[in-house]
Amino acid sequence: MAEELTNEPWVLTAHRGNILRSWGREIAKRVFRRVSFSPRTLVAALTFFTLMLCGLPTFAQENVLRVLAWPGYADNDVVKKFEIRFNARVQVTFVDSDEALSDKMHAGGKPPFDVLAANSAEIHRYTLENLLTPLDLGELPNTQRQLPRFRALSSINGLTANSKIYAIPFTYSSMGLIYDRKQIQMAPRSMKKLWNPRYQGKVLDFNSAQHNFSFAALALGYPHPFQLTDAQMREVARKLVELRRNLLTYYTVPEEATAYFIQHKAALMFGNYGTQQLALLRKAGADVGYVIPEEGALAWLDCWAMTQSATNRQLALAWINYMLEPDVSALLTQRQGLANTLVPPPESSGDSAHLILIQPVENIEERESLWSRIVSGDRPERFR
Amino acid sequence: MMRPGLMVKLSLLLALIGVLASGSTGYYAYRANRTMLADEAGRNLLTATELLGRRFSVSIDDMAADVLVLATMPSSALIAQSADDLKTSVDRARLAQVFSSFMLHHPGYLQARLIARDRFGLERIRFDRDGHGIVQVQNDNLQEKGQFAYVFDTLALAPGHVYIGPITINRERGAHYAEGKPILRLAAPVATPAGAVVGVVVLDVDLAVLLKLLRTDLPPDYEVYLANEWGDFLVHPDSSQAFGFDKGRRVFMQDSFAATKPLFERTANSVLINGLTNPKQAHDAVLAFVKRPFGASAGNRFIVLGLSKPLSDVLAGANLLGDQIVRMILFSSLAALLLAILFARALTRPLQILTHAATHFFADNATEALPLKRTDEIGTLARCFEHMRREIKSQVVALHDKQHQFAYLANHDVLTSLPNRMLFTQKLDAAVHDATASGEQLAVLFVDLDRFKQINDQFGHSFGDTVLVAVADRLQQVLSKGHTVARLGGDEFVVLVEGAHSSASAADLAADIVRALESDLPVSGRQVVVGASVGISEFPHDGVSARDLLLYADTAMYVAKSKGRGFWQRYGDLSDEQRVKTAYENTTANEN
Repeated sequence: MAEELTNEPWVLTAHRGNILRSWGREIAKRVFRRVSFSPRTLVAALTFFTLMLCGLPTFAQENVLRVLAWPGYADNDVVKKFEIRFNARVQVTFVDSDEALSDKMHAGGKPPFDVLAANSAEIHRYTLENLLTPLDLGELPNTQRQLPRFRALSSINGLTANSKIYAIPFTYSSMGLIYDRKQIQMAPRSMKKLWNPRYQGKVLDFNSAQHNFSFAALALGYPHPFQLTDAQMREVARKLVELRRNLLTYYTVPEEATAYFIQHKAALMFGNYGTQQLALLRKAGADVGYVIPEEGALAWLDCWAMTQSATNRQLALAWINYMLEPDVSALLTQRQGLANTLVPPPESSGDSAHLILIQPVENIEERESLWSRIVSGDRPERFR
Repeated sequence: MMRPGLMVKLSLLLALIGVLASGSTGYYAYRANRTMLADEAGRNLLTATELLGRRFSVSIDDMAADVLVLATMPSSALIAQSADDLKTSVDRARLAQVFSSFMLHHPGYLQARLIARDRFGLERIRFDRDGHGIVQVQNDNLQEKGQFAYVFDTLALAPGHVYIGPITINRERGAHYAEGKPILRLAAPVATPAGAVVGVVVLDVDLAVLLKLLRTDLPPDYEVYLANEWGDFLVHPDSSQAFGFDKGRRVFMQDSFAATKPLFERTANSVLINGLTNPKQAHDAVLAFVKRPFGASAGNRFIVLGLSKPLSDVLAGANLLGDQIVRMILFSSLAALLLAILFARALTRPLQILTHAATHFFADNATEALPLKRTDEIGTLARCFEHMRREIKSQVVALHDKQHQFAYLANHDVLTSLPNRMLFTQKLDAAVHDATASGEQLAVLFVDLDRFKQINDQFGHSFGDTVLVAVADRLQQVLSKGHTVARLGGDEFVVLVEGAHSSASAADLAADIVRALESDLPVSGRQVVVGASVGISEFPHDGVSARDLLLYADTAMYVAKSKGRGFWQRYGDLSDEQRVKTAYENTTANEN
């Protein structure tokens, strides 16, 4: 059985779901602008070199904060406000996948960033790789404003090591079920509803190896969905082939899911993007509900952490503290439809909501390999 | 005289004007030519792109026809429905042969499949292309494809229609050579004679082969771009920019070439970007983009095709012309310089003549070269100058005459025309100076008329004046040419005797004068006798200065007068007593 939220509420993740925020060319453009070719960056670079030449490198170093974040976490206005308040210059680099984040963190000897936002599983990995610096909660007074479950840091896997704190929760999302209220009057209670032949050709699934194996394992009632035995793996694979046969298709981006949902009158969907997807569907005219099934829903938690190579640690801590200000955290909910750690989410199914933080899985390659065969249409006989 | 300053300046100015004129004309011609060529190239490129798009559509139509051929074969519906493979194995083998021959003859087809509607979209016939040739996938290796849009969307089509799927990367596991390749899928529903759709035929087309076919007639330096309806690059000269969505980072045409935005906003069907006028978007290239409808089943779907041509090719002609123009400018500049020198010379030459004439104002021959006959402004100037020159010359001549007159009046007695005291004193000074140098002798004879006062009182001043003129004539008759006679004023005359024997001759001359004036003098019809007393002083015997000589002659004349009328007296013969007494009387008489 997967650990209950109340006992050990947060488990780790490897793949994340908030691609929604990264999708779209506005963001791509923003990444481009902020990171590579912005005139501001150019001016900053020129200023930096000028100062270097003038023998004043400390000035430049003291006032520059290098942030590695996901689109939507450090919008221009938020950054500007911080720059004015702390008389600093912030250079934000956006990433849109865990892989990109990892590439940036491992580029060169030391990560060329001061602070970063990553999910709890990635934080755990970076902590083990000794890329992060422990945080002093005394320097982060805004953590007092967080909901109790996010203040219980030691109960969240991956954020602490050797009783030192390495990351502060910032935002999270669950992967529940989205259903059409017109076709399904009663809110589905179990994940098993996805396999119901009544909805054959009306079910949508997210095209991702890790999450599919994990939630199928939950549906099968396996206690450790992230650590499957070989036998369990084969069983889950067959279960997923069974699911495939019940699907309309797989989706990768929320817009695609919405289009299929509307055009093909889908009834049920694995909501990889959680509550973020709801707004999009409702905007497209769908009457949809969101539910956390009784088996529990996978969830990811993004946290802020400080790197080993942070030059101005006071400024880095100030940034993390600033991110937890009610105004700044509220923007996450307003603009991105994401839950923040200060107030309970409106779509929450109450305290009984059973969320399972995703963890690194036993064997990514194997899951990926099996998954590509499942998606491509291999028949169940081939998974013995 | 040469005036290089003006000429050089004028030449330079004129040459500069010439060079500037030819240079700017050449430059603008070059620019206009470039723009024209680029515009022309743009139009041609647009046509080429449109043709490329049309050819693309035609290729797709050809392949769609292939799909339809396969889908409408009677055995296709039969095999798609059949559950029992043994019963239909002959038909199946024959149909497979048809599929395989399609694959064989169309190297662009990566997969050809018959997929059943039932059994979750199980593949019934499948040929894949791999590195060596064509592979038939069979039995357990056949997959269920019902979850793919190209199956469920095609099943929804009416028989005879073709599904044209999006251009994407094939991510299906086990697709052999097609796996990971950019492909385009075409599919058609397979229907029973009754019209029930029981399956689909799917062709996977290799985008690379399709493009190679399209590119065949294009020059090698042309580059091809292709984007889907959202602007995602599907073909890009830099292959890392294509299929960005498959790598998690989308790259959009409207971001790389902002001018293509209207294509995706559906406000334009074609766009031209000219690197000459828009170097930011089209660096050193001319680009044309054309929107083409894509996928007959869905009317709103389209692709954008683009072609680029290097600007250097387009402008090769302009650069050639540019070289020509530069040569022409050099030549015409040289010509302008020569002409400018000639012109400047022509303009400055009359000026030089005028200058010469002004410097040699009074030389008559100076005006000979003046261009008086020219009808232009220079001729007028020359004539004005000549006129002014004549005017000034005549005035100067008149001035000189007056000057001579004044000089004569200043040195001569107006009445008798004899030299006056001033001129006589000058001549005496000069004679003394000469005599001192040569050791010769001089004598001064002081002549005073004896009865002039009575004649004047008796006959009037006018008659007296006439008498004085007659006396002057008589004196000049008596004296030879070598002697100077002058009137000192009133009835006093003086004579300068020069010569080696002046001592002896002076006395003779004095006697001659006395005698001449003792005789009758005819004046205005009357005979008058004026009589004269003469005093003689001698150089160097009596004095060595003109003043002394004149004074002593006067003294001697007084002594002669005191003897009675008609005597002459040599100063040298006077006793000291006489000299002092007479000098005294003389001065007191003068003072009174």
